[in-house]
Amino acid sequence: MNHFVYGGLSALELAERPNQRALAKQRTREKIIAAAKALFAERGYEGATIRDIAKAAGMSTGAVFASFTDKSDLFIDIAETEQAELYSEMRAAKEGLTGRAAILAMLDAAAERQLASLALVQAIMSALWTPGLGDKVRRRLDRRAAASLILGVVQDDLQLEPGGHCATLISDMIWDGYLASLRRAALDGLTLEPLRARIHDQTKTILAGLRRG
Amino acid sequence: MGVRESRKEATRLRVLDAARDLFEEVGYEAATIREIARRAGVSVGSVFTGFASKSDVLGEVIRCRLDELYADLECVTPHLRGSTADRCRLLFAVHYAFEFRRLRLFLALISASFEFQETPGQPVLGSNQRLRGMVLDCLAEGVASGDLRPDIDLELAVDTLVGVYAWNYRLAAADGADAQRLTQLFDRQIGLIFEGLTRAS
Repeated sequence: MNHFVYGGLSALELAERPNQRALAKQRTREKIIAAAKALFAERGYEGATIRDIAKAAGMSTGAVFASFTDKSDLFIDIAETEQAELYSEMRAAKEGLTGRAAILAMLDAAAERQLASLALVQAIMSALWTPGLGDKVRRRLDRRAAASLILGVVQDDLQLEPGGHCATLISDMIWDGYLASLRRAALDGLTLEPLRARIHDQTKTILAGLRRG
Repeated sequence: MGVRESRKEATRLRVLDAARDLFEEVGYEAATIREIARRAGVSVGSVFTGFASKSDVLGEVIRCRLDELYADLECVTPHLRGSTADRCRLLFAVHYAFEFRRLRLFLALISASFEFQETPGQPVLGSNQRLRGMVLDCLAEGVASGDLRPDIDLELAVDTLVGVYAWNYRLAAADGADAQRLTQLFDRQIGLIFEGLTRAS
């Protein structure tokens, strides 16, 4: 059996070497992302340079380019992670709830998360409206995923006329209304509670048109 | 106006013209004061004599443009007829038609409006108080005439309408939607929102 043990060990050793390399690569990526996140939040997309990001991460610009093809690639990577985490928190928040309560719980969760990282959210929003960069970001982000989460609830739980177009309109409006409120929060320095109250009132206004009689 | 003042004003107008075109071509982020100065044929320093910052230049470009729009619109609005919803529809349709004439400039404004305020206390970019005022007047009249519920929160209703109006521009940025498509979409959205504003609670 000796040769089996020996063979097994050497196989393990072989497998471990690339693993460690992958691990080191992963750690480098994480360091870059942490530094970039802080700088994008502080200075916006255009204001943060790869040179500054590399310096803050304690490495050379070459090392940054080994992990990311360019600044937009790094930025979009961060935006993707932000969105994925946002959606999973929204999904978790609606667990066990239905109808309006489920929608409000999702928006509450979104507001809490996005208000906590408002500067980065602002940088992402601003980038989305920038010619060229916006198209690149949109190609990799499913920005309407949040509206589809709301649409799911609207379709399942609220009594709507058949046709379905109205459900899409309503859920898009709820999410866009949320985003508009978030922007106001950024500009007026709103704290979480008044922001939530605003989002609730606005969402109820949009949903009010749905109930018959 | 003295010679010095009129020269200053001429420089200012040249800067605003150059800035408007540059913002429209390259967006807000990529536009630099240096390039604005180059196109206007003035020094970087003289741009900063007239304006505090890049966002200040953009704010002024937008204000001048809106002055043209509202000079006409404010004469017309007192004579609008029809239901409150229809009067709102018309107000926003005029805005869509107007902004689409220089769509990329307007998208640059939206992009810039998410930026950090360079000078706290300055009027906020992208917050169109005159549009808000017109919509507010329109809704208040609707309440007075019994067309809308008396208990609605007018400010909130204005925020909702203006927020939905503005976010529809994402379809222009992402899908190449035109003014007509956004107007039709918003007509339906207004219908849905107004059902909530008109029905007795």
